[in-house]
Amino acid sequence: MPDTPALDIEGLTVRYGGTLAVDGVDLRIPRGETVALLGANGAGKSSIVNAALGLFRPAAGRVRLLGRAPAEAVAAGGVGAMLQHGGLPSETRVGEVLTLVRRRYADPWPLADLLATAGIEELLGREVDALSGGQRQRVLLALALAGAPPLLVLDEPTSAMDVEGRQAFWTTMRGLADRGHTVVFATHHLDEADAVADRVVVVGGGRVLADGSAAAVKSRIAGRTVRFRCPGPRDGLGALPGVTAVGGVGELVELATSDAEATLRALLAQRDALPGLEVRGATLEQAFLQLTTAPLTTASDGVSR
Amino acid sequence: MTDLLLFQLRRVGRNRQYVFFTIVLPALFTVLFTQVFGAQAAANGGQADYGELYLVSMMGYGAIGAALGATIRLAFDRSTGWLRQLRVVPVPPGTALAVDVAVGALLVLPSLVVVALVGRFVNGVELGLGSWLALVGVMWAGAVVFVALGIGLGIALDSQAAGAAMGIAGTALAALGGLWWPVEILPDGLVTLARAMPSYWYAQLGRDVVSGSAPSAQAVLVLFAFGAVFSAAAVAVARRRPLHAVAG
Repeated sequence: MPDTPALDIEGLTVRYGGTLAVDGVDLRIPRGETVALLGANGAGKSSIVNAALGLFRPAAGRVRLLGRAPAEAVAAGGVGAMLQHGGLPSETRVGEVLTLVRRRYADPWPLADLLATAGIEELLGREVDALSGGQRQRVLLALALAGAPPLLVLDEPTSAMDVEGRQAFWTTMRGLADRGHTVVFATHHLDEADAVADRVVVVGGGRVLADGSAAAVKSRIAGRTVRFRCPGPRDGLGALPGVTAVGGVGELVELATSDAEATLRALLAQRDALPGLEVRGATLEQAFLQLTTAPLTTASDGVSR
Repeated sequence: MTDLLLFQLRRVGRNRQYVFFTIVLPALFTVLFTQVFGAQAAANGGQADYGELYLVSMMGYGAIGAALGATIRLAFDRSTGWLRQLRVVPVPPGTALAVDVAVGALLVLPSLVVVALVGRFVNGVELGLGSWLALVGVMWAGAVVFVALGIGLGIALDSQAAGAAMGIAGTALAALGGLWWPVEILPDGLVTLARAMPSYWYAQLGRDVVSGSAPSAQAVLVLFAFGAVFSAAAVAVARRRPLHAVAG
């Protein structure tokens, strides 16, 4: 059984009423990989995660977790998950919830190590209702880790954490990956995907837009934006080296570029002045737009797989 | 299942409001109403034994509150995401629901017993030991109807509505079903309404036992019908609105 993939999704389609949230996604994650599902809000990440965990029945497609149906894999203690809308029961203490969950597993993570890993040593006696957002996330992490499951599925796990909390969290995740756990997480932060994942799967509009090593995907979506004011005609801007899109409002011109330096050299050679010049990293939304409008098959700097 | 049952019992038992409304308040009412209506009746030369009447009515009132309060809470566990979280822990599907049914059924008992003790030792109601046991047993079994109602409401309602529903449903069932005042003193229209409430027939089980007879077939059948309708409604709502869903 260890040869079966940790997660194997074929032709997954999810609909909410008339809305198509996931549109025929195929995704196979071998054991031991750390994979980021990267996408903007509404891209379909959570729907993929929830369908993978068996939280609802997809409209079409097949999901196997560790070679089994999702509910069976969960029942067998093979999966731990942090859900975006998961939560803790009111009128309890952290320690009580943790004990309840740990006792569901035949071979739970040793308590002291679990508490240290999740960073909740001081929270055991605390009332759940009195926890801060970040503390709550750490307790939910402890619940996900409680059974030392081979597969961890995390849906935007750091959304309620501050910067320090995030760093500690991802250090923990890298440690787990080093110990051989398969970690699959959804995020809309490119830097998180880049820092932690072996492999980044970019999701947008319910489809997989790119799938490859973090470095390859990053080079594809980490473009730059060149902005300046241009009162006159703007013919030919789209033909400048590196430019992938021309936008802007009023006098403001925004050039999306895959090679900011080449674009700037060409611009400076053409024009005497570039008032209000700015060069910025493209936002993830711009990058996704680019990926959506320029399909993988025609991309010149194509990503492996 | 046992772990989760104890966990849930501890949570509900820890809620002071729950303990107050399902045990303390019915016990206080048992004494208060018996004094108020008993004194009135004595002044008018009435014969009815208000000690016995309110013993049964307040056992019913407390039990209904306990059954509803313990089960409508499902809505809270859905809204916090706890029920979703349980779905990714090795807990068999349906266990959370089964545990809440069991918690509702178990927590009816303290309420029944405390009110019975108050009836016996404060109001001086005298029954044989067999009758006491039969009274508590019958009222316990009948409370299943309200467990079913509470589960249905818990699945159907969002957390804010659920909080209100615990108070309103218990109060309406008690007031309209003739638990707070004897049905005999009500005008005809309200008597008809009372006889349309499951709470009226629930208390009728107890009144039958206290008067020394077996529960009437009519009361049993009516309660059975209410229980069937509430259960069917709960199942129908659960199909449309799974407990682990985020919303809707």
